[in-house]
Amino acid sequence: VQEGLVAIFDFTQAKTDRFSNLAASELPVSLRIAEPRAANVSAAGLEITGKTMVRSEGVAGRLNEALRQSPGLTLEAWIRPARLDQTGPARIVTISRDSGERNLTLGQDGDKFEVRLRTTRTTSNGIPALASKSQSLRTEWMHVVYTFEVGGPGRIYLNGELNAEQNIGGDLSNWNKDFALGIGNELSADRPWSGGLKLVALYGRPLSAGEVSRNFRAGSSLAPPTPEELLARQLAENGKLFEKRIAPLLSRHCLECHDSVTRNGLLDLSKRTAALEGGESGLAFQPGRSAESLLWTKVESDEMPHDRPPLAAAEKQLLKAWLDGGGVWSLSEIDPAVYAHGEGGGKVFVQRLTVPEYIETVRAILGVDITAEAREILPRDLRADGFNNTAYNLNVDLGHVEAYARLAELIVSRIDLPALARQFTGSRELSDENMTKIIEPLGKRLLRAPLRKDDVIRYCGISTTVAAAGGSFEEATGYIIEAMLQSPRFLYRIEQQSGDGTPRPLGSYELAARLSYIICGAPPDAALLQAADKGELDRAGVEAHARRLLQDPRAVTRSKQFVTEWLQLDRLDSLRPQPEKFPHWQPELAADMRAETLAYFEEIAWKQQRPLHELLNAQLTFTTRRLARHYGLPAEQLPEDNQLVRLDLSQIPARGGLLTHGSLLTVGGDDASMVSRGLFIMHELLRGVVRDPPPCVDTKPVPSRPGLTQRAIAETRIANQNCVGCHAKFEPLAFGLEKFDGLGSFHQRDEFGNELRDDGQILIPGQANPLKYRSSQELMNLLAASERVRETFTWKLTQFALGRPLDAEDVPQVHAIHQKSQAEGGTYSSLLLAIVTSDLVLQTRTEKSEPLAGLQPAE
Amino acid sequence: MLLGTGAVTIGLPLLEEMLVPNTIAAAPGEVPVRAFNLFFGLGIPAPLQQEGFDGVLEPLQPLSDKLLILRGVDQVRCDRPGINAHYDGATGAFTAEPPDGEAKAGGPSIDQLIRKAHYPQGMPPGMVPTLIGGTFFRRSRVGRYVHSYNEDGTVAAQMQESPRDLFERVFGGVALAGDETDLRRQRLKRSVLDSVVDQYRYYTGSNSPLGSTSRARVADHLERIREYEQRVFALRPRDANSPQLPPPSQVAHGGEADPGGEGIDITLDDLVTEWRLMADLYALAIQTDRVRFGALTFLAAGERIRLKGKYEYAGRTVFEFDDAGQRRSSGSNGCSHEWWHDFDEKKRNEQLRAHAHMKMRELAYFLSRLASEDCREANGKTILENSLITISTESGDGRHNDVKRELSGVFHAITSANGRFKTGQMLDVGAEAIDVYNTMLAAFDVQRQLGPAQRDKRTIDSIRA
Repeated sequence: VQEGLVAIFDFTQAKTDRFSNLAASELPVSLRIAEPRAANVSAAGLEITGKTMVRSEGVAGRLNEALRQSPGLTLEAWIRPARLDQTGPARIVTISRDSGERNLTLGQDGDKFEVRLRTTRTTSNGIPALASKSQSLRTEWMHVVYTFEVGGPGRIYLNGELNAEQNIGGDLSNWNKDFALGIGNELSADRPWSGGLKLVALYGRPLSAGEVSRNFRAGSSLAPPTPEELLARQLAENGKLFEKRIAPLLSRHCLECHDSVTRNGLLDLSKRTAALEGGESGLAFQPGRSAESLLWTKVESDEMPHDRPPLAAAEKQLLKAWLDGGGVWSLSEIDPAVYAHGEGGGKVFVQRLTVPEYIETVRAILGVDITAEAREILPRDLRADGFNNTAYNLNVDLGHVEAYARLAELIVSRIDLPALARQFTGSRELSDENMTKIIEPLGKRLLRAPLRKDDVIRYCGISTTVAAAGGSFEEATGYIIEAMLQSPRFLYRIEQQSGDGTPRPLGSYELAARLSYIICGAPPDAALLQAADKGELDRAGVEAHARRLLQDPRAVTRSKQFVTEWLQLDRLDSLRPQPEKFPHWQPELAADMRAETLAYFEEIAWKQQRPLHELLNAQLTFTTRRLARHYGLPAEQLPEDNQLVRLDLSQIPARGGLLTHGSLLTVGGDDASMVSRGLFIMHELLRGVVRDPPPCVDTKPVPSRPGLTQRAIAETRIANQNCVGCHAKFEPLAFGLEKFDGLGSFHQRDEFGNELRDDGQILIPGQANPLKYRSSQELMNLLAASERVRETFTWKLTQFALGRPLDAEDVPQVHAIHQKSQAEGGTYSSLLLAIVTSDLVLQTRTEKSEPLAGLQPAE
Repeated sequence: MLLGTGAVTIGLPLLEEMLVPNTIAAAPGEVPVRAFNLFFGLGIPAPLQQEGFDGVLEPLQPLSDKLLILRGVDQVRCDRPGINAHYDGATGAFTAEPPDGEAKAGGPSIDQLIRKAHYPQGMPPGMVPTLIGGTFFRRSRVGRYVHSYNEDGTVAAQMQESPRDLFERVFGGVALAGDETDLRRQRLKRSVLDSVVDQYRYYTGSNSPLGSTSRARVADHLERIREYEQRVFALRPRDANSPQLPPPSQVAHGGEADPGGEGIDITLDDLVTEWRLMADLYALAIQTDRVRFGALTFLAAGERIRLKGKYEYAGRTVFEFDDAGQRRSSGSNGCSHEWWHDFDEKKRNEQLRAHAHMKMRELAYFLSRLASEDCREANGKTILENSLITISTESGDGRHNDVKRELSGVFHAITSANGRFKTGQMLDVGAEAIDVYNTMLAAFDVQRQLGPAQRDKRTIDSIRA
């Protein structure tokens, strides 16, 4: 990475005891070994063996000045400490005067690295320092990077991975330009360090995590790579091209006919081993030789895809480039579900508070319950790609702006302003100084991070206006809160997103907010903000706080919100069955069904802490007397007032598990459509991808009649050559539910007296062979045992946590989350813990900064 | 009462400001750039389009000199395997791209590109940046009924789905609670809003930590705050004597309107009353220059209604609607939607024809509101002639099991857009919608083109005047 590079010294290329700055900035800094006998210079780098120092000739004034004005900095070094017992800290790289005054120092303190940085928030000795973790320093070649972002955190990366992070704050405006640059000792020569150095570099900006990792991979020398290294890199790039571009392309155009189930021409391109074996026409491709690869020649001539639109020219070029570049098939399996939402690296949408989040945020911080009014006047958040919190769809119209303003006014009218103000100041003076005592702490809570200076000035401006209008201290406080409640920092979860397009670790406050909203749907509490202040939110800190938050009753509420959105329970509010067909239907049953599913989820996920897959086959449920009657369950013993009670189902094998709830069975509509039910299970539990029906098929539902059940109709469809490819994948999933009618009542015969069945077989996406089941209970057990179903829980909850559909780039992380949570029991808590401690939550995607043409509204 | 050109006359509330058909911000004598997308659900099968005004297009005939009817427009590129075909075609209308998620188009709609190109600094103060309204019921996915999309493919504004919502959105004064004549209070409220605006400016400016997508989102929010600001502080408060809101809607909205895809029963009278009030208000919003861009929907993609009632046109009874009765079925199978599934060129398709004819009558109702005498502008032409109004739909057939048939020959019609396009003709363009749209954008000097950069573009000169 070259951008922002101020100075770089490559000790492997030096011929003498002098080293000059090789950066394009051409700042005049050169280093010289003070005591050449205590150091060796060779192609392996600089080795400091005794007490000496390598220092700049004179002060490094221009270098200091360049960094002083920067938005942050990065110090990068490739080093090998000679011993673990060097302390002091022993100075590896330093810009300082003596042991008490410095701008920046990287040192060794036993088995840790330590960095001291002077900012307007730290001492002239750079205290508090940031240290890497214990035992993180080893006596081998290591890539060490320290980054600092003005006003933000300092971070230490070791060998490309984030090791430590702490909020530093302040800026570099107080740097002393008279300090010199030294290596291997303090400038006062009293903190010597021994070891090897290959490279030292300084940047006038904080490198992102992606850039650090790129520099780590690029190695320790500026010298050109060897041919072997080049080839290895080229193949690695080719493998990445496969993962990012070719796999989605194959998924889109080829897998419909060439997956493990269909295997047309005996070719299966969904699995690596099968793809390399080829099909009945021989090998599918020859690495490095597109012209000899069927995969290319058939696609180029548009012979493939068969009966589907040909590949676009750009897609063809990509395929050819991949084949010619080595044809590295770097995935063991191609799962079409992974590519359903693109390949990643796309747009990053800021997350607006959803309606429930808004309500809870106000309640948690200001103690005002605004539920009724917010639900009435805030426009609803609409479902997109499975959930209502999908950031791209959380946009804002005039209705929101108006509602936010009205709600802010209402909320303030319900606050005991004098009591609130007394928490922060005893004075009622309308001075900037006194108002700041309220603005800063209250703003930090409401806006979820310390205020910037100009924010404080802005809010003081409101109190000045109130004072000028003869207003009171309380009135000013009220108006300031109104303004805060309409601030973008309140309504959106603002995160630093502009960057270089690679993920970056979140700052402490950003992380505190994410953690709290993900687990509780609520703003960070005092303990979390305190942890952010102290820079304690590293992975372990996050986990500790996550465990604490999982004890909060709001975590249960949040999880029910997840279930409601995932299983589309709001659909029940508008259930209107045909009265002719269901004359005994009562609208209250829809509410009972919803309550059943939510109580059942709470029982399994929270009270019994069972693995989530047991949601599919636990033999219990919650019901009212009314609902039990409707279902055909024994209802005599149940309370007459229709209270929801727990019901043991161990003697009723046909019912038990989520899929036997009315809330889910109603997805098939009045006619209990096998297509709709099958697709629901396919999409929501198995993450399956199904395409549109092929040409010339009548897709109208066929009604049952005497002698013809829905099952028989479905089987006719499956027997049809044109339908079997897809319908065999999802309709049999619903066979086991045939005894439940469109509203979830249980029958042995349908309305025409046809006998109903509940046996069948299921095909798990990605597998070649179907699994048979003899009863609906066996179907539930098969689903509960399926790894695919368990993975789907992970995918769905991860999507809900992130507020965006997952794409191909997320896959390795989601996989790691899944493994971790399964190892911990596969419970809701273990899954959420694995999610919040993963890089998907600890880091954020960034967008390359681009000028925003044409989007600036008029002043 | 406002003039009603159709069979039903709708009473509209009057505001003083409504009676002045002038533009807020255009210089005197200047005609502003406007673009609207007019969508109707389920489409007109291509063979029926060939019958011209003798068939279902008959109600458009009185406006034929102001329209360019485009036949043979293909949207096949909008097919996205694995996604409901209604949704594909509907999201492709005005964008020419397949959808990119359940609530996201694959790219911007033409009205928004024209808006960004002609108003790069945002709309003039007090104007609704984008107005989206409609009378529809099926709502499982946003793309079925929203037809105006931002550059990133997200919806360009909130849907106003009842006349009352639309009225409030356009003409509703935003009242501060309490005494509106309290100047002191106004000043304090103003200072609150100033600080809010300042913050939004920071997050849309060059020092914003947000990425460009989020900045555009927050910039959108800021534009709405500016509009709010205008309404609270700049526009005259509502006259106490002026009539109030339109009456509450009599038809179903929200989840109730789409009970699990099963469809609803509705009479022709209820449907038309609701729609015409919506159309009147939308037209009035344009006429009073509160709106220059947006979309209006008459029945969603894949709409499911069971319509009942006598349908008359030009003094004759065209048909007696009774979907459920004629299909001898309730639930989804009894909906008019099924007539499209049943379409067969060799048969009479009587019910489908009647439904499609009725839809054309209602589109014509809206268009003719903009062609009335009080819509005449400084250049002597009417708003209908001066604006770009693009009419489109989701399908060229209805039997959504063959992409090529379904998304080929999708009905389109456009207006002159102040002399930019030919009118008074029916053209068999035989082109992809993307090329048609890009030609339209070029006529508006819009640099940005729809679709992938690397494709062989085709300019459809035959539509240019």
